[in-house]
Amino acid sequence: MTTLPRRCLLLAAFTFASAAFANGPVAVQADVVFASTAAGKVDPSLTKMQETLGAKVKYLTLEKRSSQKLQVTNRGATVALPNGKVAELTLEALKDGVATLRVKLPPTDATYSLAKDKSFYLQGGGHEGGDLWLVLSQPK
Amino acid sequence: MKNPAREKFLPMLSPYVDGELTPEERQLVEQHLQNNKESAAQVADLRAGDGLMRNALEMQADEVDWKKFSEDVMARVTPEKLPLFERLKLTFSEMFTYQRGPLVAGLVGAVAAVAIAIPLTISLMGQAPEGYGAGRVEVQTVSVDTEATVKPVVFETESGDAVIWVVDAPEKKDGGRKKGGSDEEDIAPAPPEELKKQDL
Repeated sequence: MTTLPRRCLLLAAFTFASAAFANGPVAVQADVVFASTAAGKVDPSLTKMQETLGAKVKYLTLEKRSSQKLQVTNRGATVALPNGKVAELTLEALKDGVATLRVKLPPTDATYSLAKDKSFYLQGGGHEGGDLWLVLSQPK
Repeated sequence: MKNPAREKFLPMLSPYVDGELTPEERQLVEQHLQNNKESAAQVADLRAGDGLMRNALEMQADEVDWKKFSEDVMARVTPEKLPLFERLKLTFSEMFTYQRGPLVAGLVGAVAAVAIAIPLTISLMGQAPEGYGAGRVEVQTVSVDTEATVKPVVFETESGDAVIWVVDAPEKKDGGRKKGGSDEEDIAPAPPEELKKQDL
Protein backbone atom coordinates (compact mmCIF):
# COMPACT_ATOMS: atom_id res chain seq x y z
CA MET A 1 0.00 0.00 0.00
CA THR A 2 1.37 3.40 -0.91
CA THR A 3 1.90 6.12 1.65
CA LEU A 4 -1.04 8.33 0.70
CA PRO A 5 -3.79 5.69 0.92
CA ARG A 6 -2.29 4.48 4.18
CA ARG A 7 -2.43 7.97 5.63
CA CYS A 8 -6.02 8.38 4.44
CA LEU A 9 -6.93 5.08 6.07
CA LEU A 10 -5.32 6.10 9.34
CA LEU A 11 -7.08 9.46 9.24
CA ALA A 12 -10.42 7.79 8.62
CA ALA A 13 -9.82 5.35 11.47
CA PHE A 14 -8.87 8.18 13.78
CA THR A 15 -11.94 10.18 12.79
CA PHE A 16 -14.19 7.18 13.31
CA ALA A 17 -12.64 6.46 16.69
CA SER A 18 -13.04 10.09 17.76
CA ALA A 19 -16.69 10.06 16.76
CA ALA A 20 -17.29 6.76 18.50
CA PHE A 21 -15.88 7.96 21.79
CA ALA A 22 -17.18 11.52 21.61
CA ASN A 23 -20.05 10.70 23.96
CA GLY A 24 -19.13 8.91 27.12
CA PRO A 25 -19.05 6.38 28.37
CA VAL A 26 -20.89 7.42 31.50
CA ALA A 27 -20.85 5.14 34.51
CA VAL A 28 -24.29 4.35 35.89
CA GLN A 29 -25.26 2.24 38.86
CA ALA A 30 -28.32 0.21 37.85
CA ASP A 31 -30.19 -1.54 40.64
CA VAL A 32 -33.31 -3.63 40.21
CA VAL A 33 -35.43 -3.52 43.34
CA PHE A 34 -38.42 -5.63 44.24
CA ALA A 35 -40.95 -3.64 46.24
CA SER A 36 -44.03 -4.92 47.98
CA THR A 37 -46.56 -3.57 50.39
CA ALA A 38 -46.57 -6.92 52.16
CA ALA A 39 -44.68 -7.06 55.42
CA GLY A 40 -41.08 -8.02 54.93
CA LYS A 41 -37.55 -6.78 55.13
CA VAL A 42 -36.19 -3.54 53.80
CA ASP A 43 -32.64 -3.59 52.56
CA PRO A 44 -30.74 -1.03 54.70
CA SER A 45 -29.33 0.55 51.56
CA LEU A 46 -32.87 1.19 50.32
CA THR A 47 -34.26 3.21 53.20
CA LYS A 48 -33.90 6.43 51.18
CA MET A 49 -35.90 4.83 48.37
CA GLN A 50 -38.52 3.76 50.88
CA GLU A 51 -38.81 7.33 52.12
CA THR A 52 -38.94 8.77 48.61
CA LEU A 53 -41.66 6.41 47.42
CA GLY A 54 -43.32 6.17 50.81
CA ALA A 55 -45.28 9.33 50.34
CA LYS A 56 -47.30 7.58 47.66
CA VAL A 57 -46.98 3.89 48.42
CA LYS A 58 -45.92 2.45 51.74
CA TYR A 59 -43.62 -0.31 50.64
CA LEU A 60 -42.83 -2.62 53.53
CA THR A 61 -40.55 -4.89 51.54
CA LEU A 62 -37.65 -3.66 49.48
CA GLU A 63 -35.14 -6.15 48.15
CA LYS A 64 -32.32 -5.51 45.76
CA ARG A 65 -32.61 -8.17 43.08
CA SER A 66 -29.63 -7.10 41.00
CA SER A 67 -27.00 -4.43 41.06
CA GLN A 68 -24.57 -3.58 38.35
CA LYS A 69 -22.34 -0.79 37.26
CA LEU A 70 -22.83 0.00 33.61
CA GLN A 71 -20.74 1.97 31.18
CA VAL A 72 -23.41 3.63 29.11
CA THR A 73 -22.52 4.94 25.67
CA ASN A 74 -24.54 5.99 22.66
CA ARG A 75 -24.46 2.34 21.66
CA GLY A 76 -26.57 1.49 24.68
CA ALA A 77 -26.53 -0.93 27.58
CA THR A 78 -29.20 -3.26 28.90
CA VAL A 79 -30.52 -4.35 32.25
CA ALA A 80 -32.65 -7.47 32.56
CA LEU A 81 -35.49 -7.52 35.06
CA PRO A 82 -36.79 -10.67 36.76
CA ASN A 83 -40.22 -10.18 35.15
CA GLY A 84 -38.75 -10.70 31.71
CA LYS A 85 -38.55 -7.05 30.75
CA VAL A 86 -35.31 -5.55 29.57
CA ALA A 87 -34.38 -1.95 30.16
CA GLU A 88 -32.29 -0.30 27.50
CA LEU A 89 -30.10 2.63 28.48
CA THR A 90 -28.59 4.92 25.90
CA LEU A 91 -26.44 7.98 26.29
CA GLU A 92 -28.27 10.69 24.36
CA ALA A 93 -25.94 13.58 25.07
CA LEU A 94 -23.09 14.71 27.22
CA LYS A 95 -22.92 18.47 27.39
CA ASP A 96 -21.26 20.75 29.93
CA GLY A 97 -20.61 17.78 32.18
CA VAL A 98 -24.27 16.78 32.27
CA ALA A 99 -25.27 13.52 30.64
CA THR A 100 -28.71 12.86 29.25
CA LEU A 101 -29.81 9.26 29.32
CA ARG A 102 -32.65 7.60 27.47
CA VAL A 103 -34.25 4.71 29.31
CA LYS A 104 -36.60 2.41 27.50
CA LEU A 105 -38.39 0.03 29.83
CA PRO A 106 -41.59 -1.10 28.11
CA PRO A 107 -44.02 0.47 28.02
CA THR A 108 -42.17 3.55 29.25
CA ASP A 109 -39.64 5.56 27.31
CA ALA A 110 -37.99 8.44 29.17
CA THR A 111 -35.02 10.73 28.93
CA TYR A 112 -33.50 12.40 31.95
CA SER A 113 -30.35 14.21 33.00
CA LEU A 114 -28.03 12.68 35.57
CA ALA A 115 -27.18 14.50 38.77
CA LYS A 116 -24.54 14.01 41.39
CA ASP A 117 -25.63 11.76 44.27
CA LYS A 118 -29.23 11.72 42.98
CA SER A 119 -31.35 8.79 41.88
CA PHE A 120 -33.81 8.13 39.12
CA TYR A 121 -36.58 5.65 39.91
CA LEU A 122 -38.53 4.00 37.13
CA GLN A 123 -41.35 1.59 37.82
CA GLY A 124 -40.70 -1.57 35.85
CA GLY A 125 -43.98 -3.45 36.16
CA GLY A 126 -45.40 -6.06 38.45
CA HIS A 127 -43.64 -9.11 39.78
CA GLU A 128 -44.53 -11.74 42.40
CA GLY A 129 -47.36 -9.63 43.79
CA GLY A 130 -45.24 -6.52 44.06
CA ASP A 131 -43.49 -4.03 41.84
CA LEU A 132 -40.09 -3.96 40.23
CA TRP A 133 -38.20 -0.71 40.17
CA LEU A 134 -35.20 0.25 38.13
CA VAL A 135 -33.05 2.60 40.17
CA LEU A 136 -30.36 4.48 38.30
CA SER A 137 -27.80 6.48 40.20
CA GLN A 138 -24.20 7.57 40.40
CA PRO A 139 -21.92 4.63 41.12
CA LYS A 140 -20.58 4.63 44.67
CA MET B 1 88.19 -1.11 63.94
CA LYS B 2 85.08 0.93 64.20
CA ASN B 3 83.32 2.16 61.11
CA PRO B 4 81.62 5.48 61.95
CA ALA B 5 79.15 5.14 59.09
CA ARG B 6 78.09 1.67 60.24
CA GLU B 7 77.79 2.94 63.79
CA LYS B 8 75.47 5.63 62.48
CA PHE B 9 73.29 3.30 60.41
CA LEU B 10 73.26 0.32 62.75
CA PRO B 11 70.15 1.43 64.74
CA MET B 12 68.31 1.97 61.45
CA LEU B 13 68.84 -1.50 60.01
CA SER B 14 66.05 -3.26 61.90
CA PRO B 15 63.48 -0.49 61.20
CA TYR B 16 64.62 -0.66 57.55
CA VAL B 17 63.82 -4.37 57.37
CA ASP B 18 60.46 -3.75 59.07
CA GLY B 19 59.64 -0.95 56.60
CA GLU B 20 59.39 1.69 59.29
CA LEU B 21 61.73 4.29 57.77
CA THR B 22 60.82 7.38 55.84
CA PRO B 23 61.60 7.34 52.11
CA GLU B 24 64.61 9.64 52.67
CA GLU B 25 66.00 7.49 55.49
CA ARG B 26 65.37 4.37 53.42
CA GLN B 27 67.33 5.84 50.51
CA LEU B 28 70.27 6.71 52.81
CA VAL B 29 70.30 3.23 54.31
CA GLU B 30 70.24 1.60 50.87
CA GLN B 31 73.24 3.71 49.81
CA HIS B 32 75.01 2.63 52.98
CA LEU B 33 74.24 -1.02 52.35
CA GLN B 34 75.76 -0.82 48.88
CA ASN B 35 79.02 0.39 50.41
CA ASN B 36 79.10 -1.69 53.56
CA LYS B 37 79.00 -5.47 53.18
CA GLU B 38 78.84 -6.05 56.93
CA SER B 39 75.65 -4.05 57.26
CA ALA B 40 74.23 -5.72 54.15
CA ALA B 41 74.92 -9.13 55.69
CA GLN B 42 73.25 -8.06 58.90
CA VAL B 43 70.17 -6.92 56.95
CA ALA B 44 70.12 -10.30 55.21
CA ASP B 45 70.25 -12.02 58.58
CA LEU B 46 67.44 -9.86 59.91
CA ARG B 47 65.26 -10.71 56.87
CA ALA B 48 66.02 -14.39 57.25
CA GLY B 49 65.05 -14.21 60.91
CA ASP B 50 61.83 -12.44 60.03
CA GLY B 51 61.06 -15.12 57.47
CA LEU B 52 61.61 -17.88 59.98
CA MET B 53 59.51 -16.11 62.55
CA ARG B 54 56.68 -15.58 60.01
CA ASN B 55 56.72 -19.23 58.98
CA ALA B 56 56.62 -20.38 62.57
CA LEU B 57 53.68 -18.08 63.35
CA GLU B 58 51.81 -19.13 60.23
CA MET B 59 52.23 -22.78 61.15
CA GLN B 60 50.86 -22.03 64.60
CA ALA B 61 47.98 -20.10 63.08
CA ASP B 62 47.11 -22.97 60.78
CA GLU B 63 46.64 -25.22 63.77
CA VAL B 64 43.96 -22.94 65.20
CA ASP B 65 40.28 -23.26 64.11
CA TRP B 66 39.30 -19.78 62.89
CA LYS B 67 35.78 -20.69 61.84
CA LYS B 68 34.04 -18.96 64.70
CA PHE B 69 36.64 -16.26 65.15
CA SER B 70 34.57 -13.41 63.70
CA GLU B 71 31.41 -14.56 65.49
CA ASP B 72 33.28 -14.72 68.77
CA VAL B 73 34.73 -11.27 68.22
CA MET B 74 31.37 -9.79 67.28
CA ALA B 75 29.76 -11.48 70.24
CA ARG B 76 32.20 -9.70 72.48
CA VAL B 77 31.81 -6.39 70.64
CA THR B 78 27.96 -6.48 70.73
CA PRO B 79 27.07 -8.78 73.58
CA GLU B 80 23.33 -8.21 73.03
CA LYS B 81 21.10 -6.91 70.23
CA LEU B 82 20.00 -3.32 70.68
CA PRO B 83 16.29 -2.56 71.05
CA LEU B 84 14.46 -1.58 67.87
CA PHE B 85 14.12 2.06 68.85
CA GLU B 86 17.83 2.29 69.63
CA ARG B 87 18.71 0.63 66.34
CA LEU B 88 16.45 3.01 64.41
CA LYS B 89 17.89 5.94 66.30
CA LEU B 90 21.40 4.78 65.48
CA THR B 91 20.51 4.19 61.84
CA PHE B 92 18.98 7.63 61.42
CA SER B 93 21.84 9.19 63.29
CA GLU B 94 24.35 7.57 60.95
CA MET B 95 22.26 8.45 57.90
CA PHE B 96 21.99 12.04 59.04
CA THR B 97 25.72 12.17 59.67
CA TYR B 98 27.02 10.45 56.57
CA GLN B 99 24.16 10.81 54.05
CA ARG B 100 22.69 14.14 54.98
CA GLY B 101 22.26 15.39 51.40
CA PRO B 102 20.21 12.47 50.03
CA LEU B 103 18.25 12.25 53.29
CA VAL B 104 17.24 15.91 53.23
CA ALA B 105 16.43 15.71 49.51
CA GLY B 106 14.26 12.65 50.11
CA LEU B 107 12.40 14.31 52.97
CA VAL B 108 11.80 17.46 50.93
CA GLY B 109 10.53 15.32 48.05
CA ALA B 110 8.18 13.40 50.33
CA VAL B 111 6.79 16.59 51.87
CA ALA B 112 6.26 18.07 48.40
CA ALA B 113 4.49 14.92 47.22
CA VAL B 114 2.17 14.95 50.23
CA ALA B 115 1.52 18.68 49.79
CA ILE B 116 0.45 18.05 46.19
CA ALA B 117 -1.41 14.79 46.77
CA ILE B 118 -3.67 15.93 49.63
CA PRO B 119 -5.32 18.92 47.87
CA LEU B 120 -5.54 16.92 44.66
CA THR B 121 -7.28 14.05 46.42
CA ILE B 122 -9.68 16.40 48.19
CA SER B 123 -10.41 18.12 44.88
CA LEU B 124 -11.06 14.84 43.09
CA MET B 125 -13.26 13.54 45.89
CA GLY B 126 -15.48 16.59 45.73
CA GLN B 127 -15.68 16.58 41.97
CA ALA B 128 -18.71 15.08 40.27
CA PRO B 129 -17.91 12.15 37.98
CA GLU B 130 -18.30 12.53 34.24
CA GLY B 131 -21.91 13.22 33.33
CA TYR B 132 -23.15 14.05 36.81
CA GLY B 133 -22.64 17.80 36.68
CA ALA B 134 -26.28 18.70 37.37
CA GLY B 135 -27.58 19.42 40.84
CA ARG B 136 -30.82 17.49 40.43
CA VAL B 137 -32.27 14.84 38.18
CA GLU B 138 -34.51 16.34 35.55
CA VAL B 139 -36.88 14.25 33.48
CA GLN B 140 -36.93 15.74 30.01
CA THR B 141 -39.32 13.51 28.11
CA VAL B 142 -41.46 10.54 29.01
CA SER B 143 -43.92 8.50 27.00
CA VAL B 144 -45.50 5.08 26.90
CA ASP B 145 -46.36 2.76 24.05
CA THR B 146 -49.45 3.80 22.13
CA GLU B 147 -51.19 0.50 22.90
CA ALA B 148 -50.46 0.66 26.58
CA THR B 149 -53.25 1.17 29.07
CA VAL B 150 -51.01 2.88 31.52
CA LYS B 151 -49.79 6.38 31.94
CA PRO B 152 -46.56 7.76 33.36
CA VAL B 153 -46.57 10.11 36.31
CA VAL B 154 -43.39 11.98 37.07
CA PHE B 155 -42.36 13.28 40.46
CA GLU B 156 -39.23 15.26 40.99
CA THR B 157 -38.51 15.40 44.70
CA GLU B 158 -37.23 18.44 46.53
CA SER B 159 -34.04 16.55 47.29
CA GLY B 160 -33.31 16.26 43.56
CA ASP B 161 -34.39 12.70 42.77
CA ALA B 162 -36.95 11.80 40.13
CA VAL B 163 -39.60 9.09 40.13
CA ILE B 164 -41.65 7.80 37.24
CA TRP B 165 -44.72 5.89 38.27
CA VAL B 166 -46.73 3.91 35.80
CA VAL B 167 -50.40 4.08 36.69
CA ASP B 168 -53.46 2.60 35.07
CA ALA B 169 -55.12 4.82 32.48
CA PRO B 170 -58.25 3.07 31.21
CA GLU B 171 -59.46 6.16 29.32
CA LYS B 172 -56.05 6.89 27.89
CA LYS B 173 -56.07 8.11 24.35
CA ASP B 174 -52.62 9.58 23.95
CA GLY B 175 -49.67 7.23 24.19
CA GLY B 176 -47.37 9.80 25.66
CA ARG B 177 -46.30 13.37 25.66
CA LYS B 178 -43.57 15.72 26.62
CA LYS B 179 -43.41 17.21 30.03
CA GLY B 180 -45.78 20.12 30.31
CA GLY B 181 -49.03 18.29 29.56
CA SER B 182 -51.98 18.73 31.91
CA ASP B 183 -54.30 15.73 32.14
CA GLU B 184 -52.74 13.76 34.91
CA GLU B 185 -54.79 14.84 37.91
CA ASP B 186 -57.71 12.52 37.17
CA ILE B 187 -55.61 9.38 37.42
CA ALA B 188 -52.77 10.14 39.75
CA PRO B 189 -53.24 10.32 43.49
CA ALA B 190 -52.59 13.64 45.13
CA PRO B 191 -48.83 14.12 45.46
CA PRO B 192 -47.37 14.42 48.91
CA GLU B 193 -46.13 17.76 50.15
CA GLU B 194 -42.47 16.77 49.97
CA LEU B 195 -42.82 15.73 46.35
CA LYS B 196 -43.07 18.21 43.57
CA LYS B 197 -45.49 17.00 40.97
CA GLN B 198 -44.69 17.48 37.34
CA ASP B 199 -47.66 17.54 35.02
CA LEU B 200 -47.37 15.45 31.94
